[in-house]
Amino acid sequence: MRDEGERLRAIDEINEKIKRGDAVVLTAEEMIKLVESSGLEVAAKEVDVVTTGTFGAMCSSGVFLNLGHSNPPIKMVRCWLNDVPVYKGLAAVDGYLGATAMSETRGFEYGGGHVIEDLVSGKEVILRAESYGTDCYPRKYIETAITLEDINQAVLVNPRNCYQRYDAATNSSDRVLYTYMGTLLPNYGNITFSGAGQLNPLCKDPNYETIGLGTRIFLGGGIGYIIGEGTQHSPGAGYGTLMVKGDLKKMNSRYLRGASFHKYGTTLYVGIGVPIPIVNIRVARTAALRDDEIFVNIRDYAIPSRPDLRPIVKRVSYAELRSGKVYLGDKGIQSSSLSSYKVAREIAEVLKKWILEGIFFLTEPIETLPREGELKPLKVKGRELTVGDIMRRNVITAKPDEDIRDVAIKLVEKGIDHLPVVDDEGKLIGIVTSWDLAKAIARGKRRVEEIMTRKVITAFENESIDVVARRMAQYNISGVPVVNRMNHVIGIITTNDISGKVIGGKVYGEGKTDLFS
Amino acid sequence: MVRVRLIYSHEVVDKPILASIILRTGVPVNILEAKVNAQKGELIVSISAAGDKLREILDLFREEGVQVQEIAETLRIDWDRCVACGACVSPCPTGALKFGEDWTLEYDESKCIVCKICVTACPLRAISVPGTGEI
Repeated sequence: MRDEGERLRAIDEINEKIKRGDAVVLTAEEMIKLVESSGLEVAAKEVDVVTTGTFGAMCSSGVFLNLGHSNPPIKMVRCWLNDVPVYKGLAAVDGYLGATAMSETRGFEYGGGHVIEDLVSGKEVILRAESYGTDCYPRKYIETAITLEDINQAVLVNPRNCYQRYDAATNSSDRVLYTYMGTLLPNYGNITFSGAGQLNPLCKDPNYETIGLGTRIFLGGGIGYIIGEGTQHSPGAGYGTLMVKGDLKKMNSRYLRGASFHKYGTTLYVGIGVPIPIVNIRVARTAALRDDEIFVNIRDYAIPSRPDLRPIVKRVSYAELRSGKVYLGDKGIQSSSLSSYKVAREIAEVLKKWILEGIFFLTEPIETLPREGELKPLKVKGRELTVGDIMRRNVITAKPDEDIRDVAIKLVEKGIDHLPVVDDEGKLIGIVTSWDLAKAIARGKRRVEEIMTRKVITAFENESIDVVARRMAQYNISGVPVVNRMNHVIGIITTNDISGKVIGGKVYGEGKTDLFS
Repeated sequence: MVRVRLIYSHEVVDKPILASIILRTGVPVNILEAKVNAQKGELIVSISAAGDKLREILDLFREEGVQVQEIAETLRIDWDRCVACGACVSPCPTGALKFGEDWTLEYDESKCIVCKICVTACPLRAISVPGTGEI
């Protein structure tokens, strides 16, 4: 058998052919068809370069800016572009504008990603900056309007782009979830996924034989470079990432779009295309991988835990995801992408055209991407408070056949608002609040079971306080019974318990401009 | 099928007008959206009728003091803003939003029930519903 790693052509040879105008360049989709019709060996011999593309939300993106000095000059300590805060822990007029930084006036609807898009489309952007004033930089405040043309440098530097593949998402809970994976309908109502699969750059050379530091790429409609592996690069599991840079001034807003994920935040859709030189048969083979050979997990976003700990519902191929319907058991669930396959395809075509026209040449990476390494979770030092730490254990409960007047007396005597209703075995079957009682008395009801809420929101003893506080806010309730795995009531926790005992604990609100109040 | 906005003034907001018209005409009316309080009410409904039958039903509403506005447009899609990502496709309950052959987004207005899940699902904010004051 022929050695798959045997060198077929060098980058220099490919560049010579590009110069002469006789390089053979195919998009990844065309390469798949050629391998299917003529076989791998023929395709590997014929094709010099395979182009790839992806266009999706890439949160770890942003731009380094040098805004230029005003007269008198200012050491910008705090700075905003269209009310979006710019990171200013750099020299006087240098800053970094991140895609997920949100406008202090428009919140979720406008952020760093939108400012980047506005700059690239030539729009004027309002620059505001503050300082304390120094001997060398006396100015304390500036407000002006700038365009991309006005500023010295604008370099897109994205610490993590272009995931090799990304796990899909679904939702087993009974309410709509708004996530960075889009809108997830209740009861496995839909499945969302990201990535271009068979067009995805890193999927086409998963051994990173041709991709690494110094690889010239299509970035946001201009020329960019890979400057190393991206953050969270996790090649062992097949989830590699890229760190990239490029001159924003030469980019195109068709391939850089500001976006907002409802109740999540802002981001930037980034277009990336990587040329894969067919240096050997192994690379030819991976460059021809199809959607049905690239697999990801579908994870349940109803479980609010670390991304890699969210339960896996099913392992599926991109072909199944892209078909629009994925079967969970015998139930067909609608699936759709969050990244644009149409634009990914367009990027692969544009890159192919650039190479064929002799305006884009390939580079040999100085160092290929690391092939080993796994993702580490963040360790939390010390023990964090759980429900068990602050719940009340001496729970007053009621029985379904009790008279509500007796129950009302219990609530008043004990000074409580929530009364779990249990059966003879102590299992939770309902809940009654003081408000329910007021209504019941007004309407002449008599027994607890006539008025109790049967679908009770509960908590477990080992759950984090943040998770349970968010659950109470979402259901707009002020207390939940704590149950064990047998559904026996073992405690109760209320918003009062949390605010009274958790000093400095934050409960994040939804949909407010003041996000952290 | 036609979509109309029914505006109830405070004089008629407590009357079961919709229910009686359904019973009288036997025509199914699907409520797509309802905002009702003690002062006034506003319903967006789709009526499965056409021609004389439809005119009869709309006249019945008017006779009862309900203001009737026909809704010509459902979703407004800003096609320059749309990148055909697909974020609106799987949440759409009726298949009104789906991919075409070349992975372009396609919108079939006749299937749309104006549930508006797509309005917030769209990361590019390319979808709006005219006249509802939504994003």
